[in-house]
This record gives sequence, C-alpha cells and structure tokens, in this order.
Amino acid sequence: MEANVEVKAKEVIKSPSGFSVVWRELIKDKLALISLIFLIGVTAFVYGTAIFLDQEEIVKVDLFSIYEPPGEEFILGTDYGGRDVFGQLIIGTRNSLSIAILVTLMTGIIGIIYGLVSGYFGGHIDNIMMRILDFFLILPFTMIVIAFVAIVPKYSVWTFSLIMTAFLWMGIARLVRSKALAEKELDYIQAARTLGTSNFKVVFKHLLPNVSSIIIVNMTINLAGNIGLESGLSFLGFGFPESTPSLGTLLSYARNPQTLEFRWWIWVPASLMILLLMLAVNNVGTALRRAVDARQRRG
Amino acid sequence: MWKFSVRRILIMIPQLFVLSLLIFVLAKMMPGDALSGQIDPNIDPARIEELRIEMGWYDPWHEQYARWVGGVMQGDFGMSFRFKMPVTELIGQRIVNSFWLSVATLILTYLIAIPLGITSGRYNDTFRDQLITGYSYVGFATPLFIFALVMLWVFGFQLQWFPTSGSVEPGMEPGTFDYFMSKFYHLLLPALSMALITTFNTILYLRNEIIDTKQKDFILLARSKGASESRVYNQHIFRNSLLPIAAFFGFEITGLIGGSIFIENIFGYPGMGQLLIESISLRDFSVVTATTLLFGIASILGALISDIILSLVDPRIRIK
Amino acid sequence: MGFLKIEDLKVHFPIKGGLFGRTIDHVRAVDGVSFTLEKGKTYGLVGESGSGKSTTGRAIIGLNHVTSGKVYFEDKEITGVTKAKSDFRKDIQMIFQDPYSSLNPKKRVIDLVAEPLRNFEKLSRKEERIRVQELLELVGLNPESILKYPHEFSGGQRQRIGIARAVALKPKLIIADEPVSALDVSVQAQVLNFMKEIQDELDLTYMFISHDLGVIKHMCDHIGIMYKGRYVEEGTAKEIFDNPQHIYTKRLVAAIPDIDPRKREEMKQFRAEVNSEYEQSYNDYFNEEGLAYGLKPITDTHLVALPEKG
Repeated sequence: MEANVEVKAKEVIKSPSGFSVVWRELIKDKLALISLIFLIGVTAFVYGTAIFLDQEEIVKVDLFSIYEPPGEEFILGTDYGGRDVFGQLIIGTRNSLSIAILVTLMTGIIGIIYGLVSGYFGGHIDNIMMRILDFFLILPFTMIVIAFVAIVPKYSVWTFSLIMTAFLWMGIARLVRSKALAEKELDYIQAARTLGTSNFKVVFKHLLPNVSSIIIVNMTINLAGNIGLESGLSFLGFGFPESTPSLGTLLSYARNPQTLEFRWWIWVPASLMILLLMLAVNNVGTALRRAVDARQRRG
Repeated sequence: MWKFSVRRILIMIPQLFVLSLLIFVLAKMMPGDALSGQIDPNIDPARIEELRIEMGWYDPWHEQYARWVGGVMQGDFGMSFRFKMPVTELIGQRIVNSFWLSVATLILTYLIAIPLGITSGRYNDTFRDQLITGYSYVGFATPLFIFALVMLWVFGFQLQWFPTSGSVEPGMEPGTFDYFMSKFYHLLLPALSMALITTFNTILYLRNEIIDTKQKDFILLARSKGASESRVYNQHIFRNSLLPIAAFFGFEITGLIGGSIFIENIFGYPGMGQLLIESISLRDFSVVTATTLLFGIASILGALISDIILSLVDPRIRIK
Repeated sequence: MGFLKIEDLKVHFPIKGGLFGRTIDHVRAVDGVSFTLEKGKTYGLVGESGSGKSTTGRAIIGLNHVTSGKVYFEDKEITGVTKAKSDFRKDIQMIFQDPYSSLNPKKRVIDLVAEPLRNFEKLSRKEERIRVQELLELVGLNPESILKYPHEFSGGQRQRIGIARAVALKPKLIIADEPVSALDVSVQAQVLNFMKEIQDELDLTYMFISHDLGVIKHMCDHIGIMYKGRYVEEGTAKEIFDNPQHIYTKRLVAAIPDIDPRKREEMKQFRAEVNSEYEQSYNDYFNEEGLAYGLKPITDTHLVALPEKG
C-alpha cells in the first residue's frame, strides 16, 4: 500500500499538471506575481465595498458640494454634480471590470465555437465563414459601435455589452480556427473518427482541450483590451449610461477643458486605475503565455 | 499577381454591398427623418405626410436603397438639417483636416517605429532593446485616449507649448505660409499623441522580423562570404523586413479611424471623427450615415491596398 | 463472396485553380483498384510513397471521400459511410503510422483506450477500468499505468496503446497503416511479432500497408503492389517473392537487403541487371502516361498488369 503511494507521488513529479506549471511561472516572474496580487486585491476591494456603497446615493446630485477638492469629507473630492469621486471610482472600477469580464467571456464563447467549426469542417464552410469574419474585421470598431449605440432604442448595460461582443469575437475566432486547422491534420483526430467518435465529440473533447491553453492566454490579453475599449467608449459618452458610472465616465468629465486643467482629482485617479488594471492583466497574460509555450518558460 | 488582384477586388464588391446595406438599415432605424428637423412645426401634419410620400418615405425598401446608393455614387448624401447645408459640402471641409492628421500620424509612426524597431532587432536582448520593448509594452497597455488627455494636459495646458483646440489660428489668410505653419502647429500634438501609442505594433513586428531573418541561412551565407556587418544589415536584413511594414499602412487606416475619433474629440480638432460624435449628439443622422459610410469604405480600400501590396512583396500570400 | 471486397475503387482529389478557385483537374490518388481479403489472413499493400496505398486504406474506413467504386464488408456495402455510429466501425479498426500524433496528448491512457468502449458499449466506470487494464495487459503494458499521459511512453509502447485501443471493440478487420515505420528497427520486430500473436488470439484479419517489403514478407499471406494509384501485381506472398512478373515488382523485390555479406557482390550485380531491364522495358509495362495496365490473371491467385497482347 505504501509503495503504491510512493509511485503515485513520483508520477506527479514526472508530469506536472498545467496548474503547477503556471504557478511556477508566476513565482519566477515577480512582476506578474505582484500584478496578480494587485488584481485580486482590487477586485476583492471593489466588489466587497460596493456591497456597502449605495449607488443611488453616490450618483445623486448635491449642489452644495460641487467641485470640492480632495479633503477630509471627500477623500478624492467631488465632481460637477457634487458627487463623491472616490465612491464613483469604486463603483466605476467594479462596473468596468464586470463588463470587461462579461464581454471577454461572450466573445470567447462565440469565437471558440466559430473558429472550431470553421477550422474543423474546412472546405466551403470554412471559406464562407472566413469571408464573413473578414468583413467584420475590416469595420472600424469604435465607429460602428458608436453608430449602433446611438440607434438602440432601449439602451442598457446588457445591450452595450452585446454590441461590443458583436464586433469583438473575430480575433479569437481566427486564432482558434488556425489552431484547429493545424491540429485536425494530426492522426489523433482521424483516429478518434475511426473509433466511432461523433464530430461533436471530436471537436469539443479532442480539439478543444488541445487549443485551450492558447485560448486562455488570448482571453486574458483580451480582458485588458476590453477594459480599455469600454472606458474609451464611456469616455466618448457611448458606453455606460450616466446612472451607472464606469471608469470611463469619470474620465469623460475631463472633456471639459476646465476640469482637465484645474480639477485633476476627478480624472487622474480613474486614469491611473485603468492603466494599472490593464498593465496588471497584461503582465499576468504574458506570464501565462510563457507557461503555455515550453520554450519560453523561465521556471 | 494580376490574378490575385482581380480576385481580391471581386471580394471587395460584396463587402461594399454589405457595408452599404448595413448602414442603410442603420439609417432607417435611426429615430426621426429628414423632415422632422427641417420643417416648421406649425405646418399641418397632413402636409408633412404628403411631403413624406412625395420624398418616397413609404416606398419599398429596395427602391429607397437604390435611390440612396444612386445618390451616394453621385456624391449626394442629402441635407444636414442642423447645419442647413448639403452633407457633401460639410464633409468636404472636415475630410481634408482628417486626411492631413492621418498623414502626419502615419509619418510620425514610421519615423518612430523604424529606427526603434531596427535597433531593437539588431541589438536584441541588450539594454537598449529592453528599453524599447518596455516602451512598446507600456504603449500596448495604455489606451490612446488617456495618453492623449495627459499629453494635452501637460503640453497644452501646463507647459502651453501647443494650442489646445482647433485646426488653425482664427483669422489667418488661407494659402499663406503663416496659414500653413499654423495648420502644421495645430496638427503636431494630436498626431504625435496618436503616433506614440500606435507605433508599438510596428516596432514589435519589425523587431521580430529582424531577429527571425538574422538566423536565416542566407544571412549566415552572406556573413561567411565575409560581408561586413553593416552590409549584411543594409543589403539583406532590412530589405526583407521593411517591405512588409510598408504594406501594412493600408491596415493602419482602420486603426487611424478609431484613433481619430478619440484624438479629434480630445484636441477639439475639426475632422471627421469629431463630426461623427457631434452629429450623433445633435441627432443629425444624414451626417452620421455619410461619415460612417465613408469611414467604412476607407477601411475596406485600405485592406485592399495592403493585401495587394503584400502579395507583391510576399508571394506566399498569393497562393491562399 | 469475400470478407472484404473492394471493387474498382477510385479516390480523386480536386486541384483548385484559376480566377474563382474552380476545380481544374484531379489528382488520381487511387485509380481503379479491386481486391478481396480473406478472413483470418493478412493482406499486404505495398508501394512507394504517393502510390495511393494509404489513401486506399483510409478510403475503406471512411476517412477519405470515395470518388467511385464499391466497398463491401461481409457482403454489406459500406462505401462512403461517414456516420460515426455505424455498425461496421466496430468491426473495422485502424492502427496509425505515427504513434506520436495518433494519441491525443491531453488524454490519459485510460481515456484513450476507453474511447471506443464509451462510444459503443455502456460500461460502468469499474467495468471500464477492468477492461482497459485487461487490454493493457494483452498488449504487454503495465496495467498500473492507466493514469499516465502518452508522452511518458516510448514509441513502441505508444504503438501498443494504439493497438490496445484498436482491438478494444473486438474488431474483425484491422487496417494497419505503416504501423512500424516510425519505430526503431529493434522495436519494429517486437511490435510485428506481437501483432501476429494477437492475430491468432483474437481471430483478426489484417490489411497491412507498408513501403517496406521486408516487413510485408514477414507478415503477409497475400500481397498487392501499387504504383501511381493502380495495381501492378497481386498474388500470394510466395508468388510475389519467388516469381515476380511485372518489372516494377522485380525491381522492388531485388531491392530487399540481404544480410549475408558473402552475397554482396552477387546482389549488386543482380540489382544492376534488374535495373537495366527496368529501364529498357519500361515502355512495355507502362502506358504513355506512365501508368500500369489492367490486371491479367496468370494463375488463379496471381494477377499482373500487362498490356493487351497484339
């Protein structure tokens, strides 16, 4: 019995699981580790405190405390409506993170399915699907999203994320397709078919696990990008409605030159938050990329 | 080569068709019509109905679409009901400004990217290379609009080195040298802001390309024949790595459009991007439709140009 | 009627070209091939690379699209059946050439070997585990290693996993597509002998595809020789090796290495003779396009591609 346990232990050393490889890579890369801790900390803090903050209260206009500089009552001052910037920063970070994660997941799912189908079946199906994808890829993202946001009648956070998703799935679809094209030529896919495995199972049980690592890396990097895209659109006034502030909403106050020049406390903290979030997510993504590609590993 | 080009142009036709259809549907879905802003509200609603019928508002959609496309082909985008002038005329002024902004941005992008990319690729894994890749890494993670805001704040407002809005000093005589210089002066900060952020792509591409080429057999051969280091780089490596970069500029157009929407709004620069945002908030939908269509066509043409140039440079693409 | 019967099988691949990517021509990978397999025997399909032998095997099992022709298995037509759950899938299995790419690197041995069982048989987890361990024992692997990943095994061991998986459903026919050519020579003999052992044990029929005549000689009862998508000669192993009729076969047989060093000079001379004969009479044995003629019977079992007399 004891001998058996020992054998098991040896096996674990011989073939490290995916998770331990990633962990080793993170430990080696101090920057990525700090980034990860920062991300976990910020996420826990904003989601935690947002429970106790009353969003209605924060976005309510208070005419007696307009443009207060940072002080004792308001840690980060107030905006043109006398609203607490610090509270908006917390809620904004939460909202920005939520929508970025949501859009990343939705684009991921669409992209994966689209890419797998196109790559696995190939031929005419692939041809047509790629033409459609090319068209979406050519459209300038900001412009088309703005146009859609402007005409949607019942505009909400959900419609916003759906519009973003509709024009952001192409990158991952293309990546998954090219991996699937390469992967399906390998004999194990052919073998699975001779063993009586259905196409559906071949795609999701054989193909998907073998392209999953690159999908995870890509989605992490996309998450960073989506934080930037969302705040950019909110900055222009085509993202979140004003009743649900995001980091971009805070930055959009800086479109007023007076605010930009004299009231830094409104837009600088939000800018820093966006920058730090994006850098941190990217750092983690790069570490993941190295963990996935054995040639680049440091650990 | 010509075969690829013809096929590529044929692909473009359905793309243009779908784009125009998409924008037509968008325009139809937009609230209100050309009359709702133009006409005195005191006019009898029955008369408005008559006018609508006259203008073909209730015709089948394909007839309306055909009429719209026909108009666009002749350069007629309808009337802007806010500015009370033909959209074509309105766009005419803005498009020139946007064009120069794009040209300046592209030139600056390449001016920054090529030396940095070459240095980084040639001396890879040295301190210089780490500085450059570090810069492009931060550039990759920084949203354009935040960087532009900071640039405007620092160089426009705090240091006051550059103007903070407009495309030219008011009251200048068009055509004079001062007018030209003023335009250039107003262009510089927006173009530089955009170039500094968008350049990272090109830098990293160039770096990887050079590092790749460095290890190819024909470079080893050139070295073994005793070619000097600078000759190896100038004659062999750069030629192979720079050509694809030149071809990418068509793809850059899509990025430039996205960027110009932010840049023009932040710097108060009167171009197409600003016009788009303005007309959406003013609900001036005939202008929105026109700008969206023009931006879309520009992107499609950009991709076409790049694909064709790339096929000239890189024969592997032609086979696909 | 035979056990497996192939009638005038053709597999053509389109060549795309021109302005709109239309089909302008075809590659005739397999161009009219007919043969019959007998139950319990081993049939060898030989040819150089690109001769269409692998394509033939893959077309039979439904991995390649059949352009025309018929495939019968136990008197039932199975041509072009691509449905995953067809009955014949249980009965016909395949062993792949490359033991490195034919096993999904992300799966453990138990999942790999149990895959066909899960597709066709409803077993409980425990039954499944027992069956997999039995199969591993059958192919000479440690039954304890069911939780390992493929990359922890050597090439020969991996090919044994592939075989375990192929025999899991107790098939009647196994198509072995160059099963040993990716392995070290020392391991090749091991795997081949092992395949012979389980053939008797499980009453298997093999269709053995290889470019290596030495391997074929060791394994097969009947042999078909392919060249550019067509048969040039077919017969029993004895007929092919002792009495090759077609010049192409003669040349192949002459090329088999002999281990006796004393015969080296003799062999060299013999090869030179065959080679010069090949060059001289090439036009007699192949038509203007360099393809083989239709098969003519010499004896009951021996068929050779010879031109019409006259």
